[in-house]
Formats: sequence, C-alpha cells, structure tokens
Amino acid sequence: MSRISPRRVALLALTVSVQLILALIYIIPFYWMVIKSFRFTIFANFPPNLLPTLQTVGNYVYVWHFSAFPHWYLNSTLIALSVTAASVFIGSLSGYAFARLRFRGRDILFYTVLATLMIPFPVVIIAEYILMVDLGWVNTYQAVIVPSTASAVNVFLMRQYFTTIPQEVEDAAKIDGLRPHQIFFRVAAPLAKPAYAASAIYTFIGAWNSFLWPLLVLHSVKMFTLPLAINFFKGANGSQIYWNQMTAAEVLTMIPTIVIYVVFEKYFVKGIALSGSKG
Amino acid sequence: MRRLRGHERVSGLEQLTGYLFVLPTFLILGVFVLFAAVYSLWISLMHYDPFFHTVYPVGLSNYKYVASSRLYWFSMLHALEYTGVVVTIQTFLAFFFAVLFNEKTPVSRFTRAIVFIPAVTSSAVISVLFIWVFSAQGLLNAFLVHLGVHPENWLESTTWAFPAIMGLNIFTTAPYFMIMYLAGLQSIPSSILESAALDGVRNAFQRFRYFYFPMLKFTVFFVVVLGIIGSMQLFDQVFIMTDGGPGNSTYVPLIYIYNQAFVFDNFGAAAAASFILFVIILILTLAQRRLISEVRWA
Repeated sequence: MSRISPRRVALLALTVSVQLILALIYIIPFYWMVIKSFRFTIFANFPPNLLPTLQTVGNYVYVWHFSAFPHWYLNSTLIALSVTAASVFIGSLSGYAFARLRFRGRDILFYTVLATLMIPFPVVIIAEYILMVDLGWVNTYQAVIVPSTASAVNVFLMRQYFTTIPQEVEDAAKIDGLRPHQIFFRVAAPLAKPAYAASAIYTFIGAWNSFLWPLLVLHSVKMFTLPLAINFFKGANGSQIYWNQMTAAEVLTMIPTIVIYVVFEKYFVKGIALSGSKG
Repeated sequence: MRRLRGHERVSGLEQLTGYLFVLPTFLILGVFVLFAAVYSLWISLMHYDPFFHTVYPVGLSNYKYVASSRLYWFSMLHALEYTGVVVTIQTFLAFFFAVLFNEKTPVSRFTRAIVFIPAVTSSAVISVLFIWVFSAQGLLNAFLVHLGVHPENWLESTTWAFPAIMGLNIFTTAPYFMIMYLAGLQSIPSSILESAALDGVRNAFQRFRYFYFPMLKFTVFFVVVLGIIGSMQLFDQVFIMTDGGPGNSTYVPLIYIYNQAFVFDNFGAAAAASFILFVIILILTLAQRRLISEVRWA
C-alpha cells in the first residue's frame, strides 16, 4: 500500500494546488481589506494596489477615538456574552432533562421544542417587534438579549451529547445519594465540556454577527452593535465612503470571531456532527 | 431514549427537576416563538398602528392587499429564482469543498481554515467589503480586465446586481455547508471506503454514487433544506448593498416586509406578507422531504 506511484504523486500535487488556489481566492478580499486599513488613500484607485504597505495606523486611531466605536464594541460584547451564557446554560439544563430525566409528557415537550425550528424568524419579527413596543423595551439591551436566551438548536445539541455519556456514571452517583440536580451539576455537566464549548462558540458568533433583529430594535446610535455600526458608517459619508476608515472598522469587527475560530477550530466540526447526526 | 424498567418508579423529585429544567426554555420559546407566531397571525387580520394604539379588525384585507401587490410577487419570484440558483450551486460546491479539504495534504488544515473565514464573519462586514469588490474600481473588475471583460459597476446595473449578490452568497455559504459535509464524511467508517477500494470501486464517480451519497443522504437533505430556508429569508446583504435597487432589481420578500412595517408603518400588511412567505417556505421544505425519500441513490 505504501508504494508511491507516479499517479499518487500527481494526484497529491493536484489536490494541493486546488486547495491553495481556493484559499487564495478566499483570502484576497480580506487581505485587501487589511492592507487598505493601513493606508492614507481615501478613494479607490484602479487597478487596486495589492502590494502590502504599512503607511499609517491613523485609520484605527480615527475609528477608535472619533466615533462611538469603543461604545459599540462594548454593546456587542455585552450582548453576545449575555446571550451565549444564558442560551448555553438554559440549553444544557433542558438538554439534560430531555436526555436523562423521566417526567410525564417529556417526549411531547421535546418535539414541541423541535417544532419551533420550523417557524422561520420572519414570521415572528413583526409580532416580536410589537411585543417590544408593548413592553417598552425598544432601544434597550434586553430587547436583543432576552428573545435569544433560549435556542432549540442548543437544547438539541446538548441533549444529543448527554445521551452519549454512559448511564453507569450517573447510576453510581445516584447510589451515592445525589439528587437529580446534583447529578447534573456535579457529574453530567463537567463531562459535557465539548458540547458546552461547541454550542457556546456557535451561539457567540451568531449573536456577534446578528444584523436584522438588532436593526429593528436598536434605534439610537449609542445603542448600536458592530454590524449596525458598519452599516451606519457606510451611509455616514453619503456616496463618498472613506474606504480606509471603513476597512479599519471592519477589521476590528472581525477580530473576535476570527480569534475564536482559530483557537477553537476543532469544535466547529464537532458541533455540527452533534446536532446533525443520529436523531 | 431510556426505557422505564418495570420495577423502577420514577421519583417525584426527578419529575419535578425535569419540569424545572425545561421551564426556562419553554418560557422563552413559548413567548418569543409560539405566542409571537399566533400574535403575528392576529396582527395580520388587523389594522395595527403600535404608536398611536389604533387597532381594529379588517378581516382578510391585509392579505388581499399583499396578494394583489405586484411588487410582492415580483419579490417572491426573485427569492425563488435566487433559491434555485444559490441552493443548487452551493450544495454541490460545498460537497466538492468537503471532499477536497478532507484529503490530508501538508496544506489542507491551513487552506481549509482560510476558506472558512467568511462563515464566521458578520454579514454586514462581508456586504460592505463586497460593495467595494463589485464597484467600478473594485477587485472583480481588476481581475476581469485581464480576461478582456469590459469593467462594469456591478451593483448599479439592473442586470448584474442580483447575480452579484447570488455570487457573494454562494461564496460565503459554500464553506459554511462544507463543515456539515465534513462532519458527515468523518462519520463514515474508513473501513467502508477501504472495502470499496478492495472491491474495485476505484473511479470517483462510482465512489460518490455507491458510498458517499447513500451515507450522506441526510446531510444532503439538511444542506438543501437549510439552504432553502436561508435563501428565502435573504435580507442583510440586499439591505446593505442595494436596498432592493437598482429599480427593484434585487427586491426580495424580506425587504418588502421590512418596508411595509418600518417605512410605511403598515404592520398588518407586513404580518400578512410574512405569513404568505412562511407557507411558501413550508411547501418548499416539505416537497424536499418527499423528493429526497423517493430518490434511491444506490
């Protein structure tokens, strides 16, 4: 099997080159964005100069000091962290109950949770917005956070993981006299760290990047999250967009999700594998 | 799911814990999904002005208004066209990406990570970035002039704006769905592929036909259904890049719903329009389910 035939070498070379070409196509727009953010040039020139140049960090200084950017960063961080913490915790409680605890009506309740996935978001946005008006929550953090604190996807993902933990571990805890909630907090939850990681990553990235719902309920510039700020920047200078400042704002917006992706890369496939396979 | 053993009685404490553990989920999903859906249906039957608190029933007139709106059906046709093109291409492309990046090479990890960047990036950032890519002095033209194509201001052309947005979305969703296929591929035991090799199933087409497709049938189903649901709800990119223009050439249902509610304060019509959209999405996904269960891959 380990005989290296010329055909194998050719196939490997072909695979490597296609992988590299695709990566190149995917990196170019982002690469351009980054080099542009370090330049003086305000307007685009043609053809674009793709050579790496470091002329100034002024765009970053400008964005950070002469706009509400730090405030937007704080808004996004606060909202994304609250949503993630709440949704993952609540999802794990319910996921554990559906996987392990026995109570009347459990299966019907579980299918009800799954059924909510069939209702697309646009169906409820109008009612949800009016609900926010009724509650007096428009233009507040809780308008963005509270509706996202439970996620059927997270419940499902956590349930899938808890069903894979050997029952014997929990039986032993039960014999030791632990109550159901103690078994969850002391035994089951610590064993489910990979599932917590996977759902936390997906939830955080989703909340950080979310656009439509914050657009509807956050009206004042001070309350904006970063995606709203990016859209706001675009309109701020009319048709003459200051591309270099814009790109600095874009780079700053991208950094947290990219860092999370690079650090937790192995959980990305795992998260999908958990929520996609085995019903 | 664990069966109850005959002699085992479930303790009241376990039942109570169970109910308490699922309660928060039901409170939130109950209010913000189930109640909101019913509330939405109710609003669609009203003249609803949340700011002046004028609410009165108008029967089906919101539905009549929306159903007789040329712009609404125009936007719906756009969404269907968009879904047909984008879902078809991205489903195959994502599959190709997954098989390609599943091959272990010295650069596979690194290149796969790069290709995945758009999938973790904010749609607002991507949209603004691609306004430039598609602009007259943008990256796309810089590349196309080498092929002898006449430079175009892609997003300001009624012919090209919509295909440009389709292209952008295929670019960003293909890597997203690639991850789903990768998860599926990695769940195929390697012994199956090895035995396939021994049985002489050597060419790539046969491998797909007899091994990948049957094993990944459900992943394909998920990718297609999620693709349809996502495509029919296209909003962010259109809102940021063209806002439905130029000349309505990129108008999609969610832009219609948004404008009815938040530009014209016509919440009843917006709710009716979103219900019609829901029914169409439901029909499409159910049809998909039928289709895929009837197809025999192997």
